[in-house]
Amino acid sequence: MIDEFNAFLYFEPKEGEPTVGVKDVIDVAGMPTTAASKILHRVPERDATCVARLREAGAAIVGKLNTHEFAYGALTNSPHFGPAMNPWNPEHTTGGSSGGSGAAVAAGLVDAALGTDTAGSVRIPAAYCGVTGHRPSAGLVPRDGVFPTSWSLDTVGPLARSAAECRRILDLIADRPLPEEPGRGLRIGVVTSLFERADPEVAGACEAALRELPGRLEQVEIPLHEEIETITQLLMLPEATAAHGEWLRTRLADYGPDVRARLLAGLFLPSTAYVTGLRARRWARQEFERELGDYDLLVSPAMPTTAPRLDAIAPDFRLQLIPYNSPAALLGLPVTAVPCGFVEGLPVGLALWGRHGEDGIPLRAAENYQQATDWHVRTPVDPANARKLYTTRHIHPGRG
Amino acid sequence: MPPESNSVERLREIAALQGVSPADKDLEGVLDFLTRILPALEAIELQLPPETPP
Repeated sequence: MIDEFNAFLYFEPKEGEPTVGVKDVIDVAGMPTTAASKILHRVPERDATCVARLREAGAAIVGKLNTHEFAYGALTNSPHFGPAMNPWNPEHTTGGSSGGSGAAVAAGLVDAALGTDTAGSVRIPAAYCGVTGHRPSAGLVPRDGVFPTSWSLDTVGPLARSAAECRRILDLIADRPLPEEPGRGLRIGVVTSLFERADPEVAGACEAALRELPGRLEQVEIPLHEEIETITQLLMLPEATAAHGEWLRTRLADYGPDVRARLLAGLFLPSTAYVTGLRARRWARQEFERELGDYDLLVSPAMPTTAPRLDAIAPDFRLQLIPYNSPAALLGLPVTAVPCGFVEGLPVGLALWGRHGEDGIPLRAAENYQQATDWHVRTPVDPANARKLYTTRHIHPGRG
Repeated sequence: MPPESNSVERLREIAALQGVSPADKDLEGVLDFLTRILPALEAIELQLPPETPP
């Protein structure tokens, strides 16, 4: 390992501020892109556009961050590179798939990180690691130089300690400026079912956070919520399988078991299922707009639990998270996840959902929340010691 | 041969036609997944307004 939490797969010390780590599905010139897999190993000549924009703005790109294999899962436990460990308790998962990004920011190894979020992969590690993460609106941040998980759902988003830092990064990597948005006097929908499904202590921490939100709260439900979970899979699975193409024929045994299972599942869905998924996404968007289009923000627990122990991940762990992650993924909505408390020493996250294209509203609400609270400045590691956590720099055995 | 074995065998044949050679354990997982998602897919198709384009 090159750091105490196995957050980094590749690290190149550099002078300069701020330091940024990049999830290892995003190309950084001269650094290997492996997607934490045994299969992919390319050393790109060019940065992905999002990385290039950060570098042009003066960021020091210091390395590549651990991920779920091919970013196709809700953990960060690649059988080839080993698990990322949660800085708040290394016996617990970081979540994923951008788990190295969450761990590196939480531990203060970097000032900020880039992750990707197909169906929760920025929000999950942000919540579990006690940092701020932002899933951008679909289409806001360019994805060239990013190994795809699911073309129609993938986004690239920042993780940092605060919403203000996430906004600064998003401003740099986005294709268009974020419109200034009002931060107060908002109409806010509280997604009741997601509070009810969450562990009571997690729900309690999130309910306490509602008092700090600047607007009028109303209870709401996501229309077609259960259907959205299925529709997301109808799109994501075939797209992911298609992205792996020839490797399924030639390298099937080199995938980890969970990713192999999901890729094979996509192979057997009928093509009509994908078309139904496309049609149903349009239907879900129309229903969402009709019922909730007047709300400036929706709010829910980011995750139903705190980070589980690495040795006690429930078989249905990923399924438990789907109701929290699928709606924004399918509908292309921006979501800012902010730390809002702790349960037994592990962070709890609150999710602030915006309308498509209005990333500034959840970010501004998160900034206001963080001006009134201090959850986001709490760290598991004394900042003075953080850089010492880069330990040995031997070549990781999983690196090809 | 129990029905599940028949189903796994058929999945193996379909995979082979695509040049993919999964293990039986992988195919049993696929079967579980299809058993869950195909009824959910049918339910969506029944609800989906017929004029909705892709």
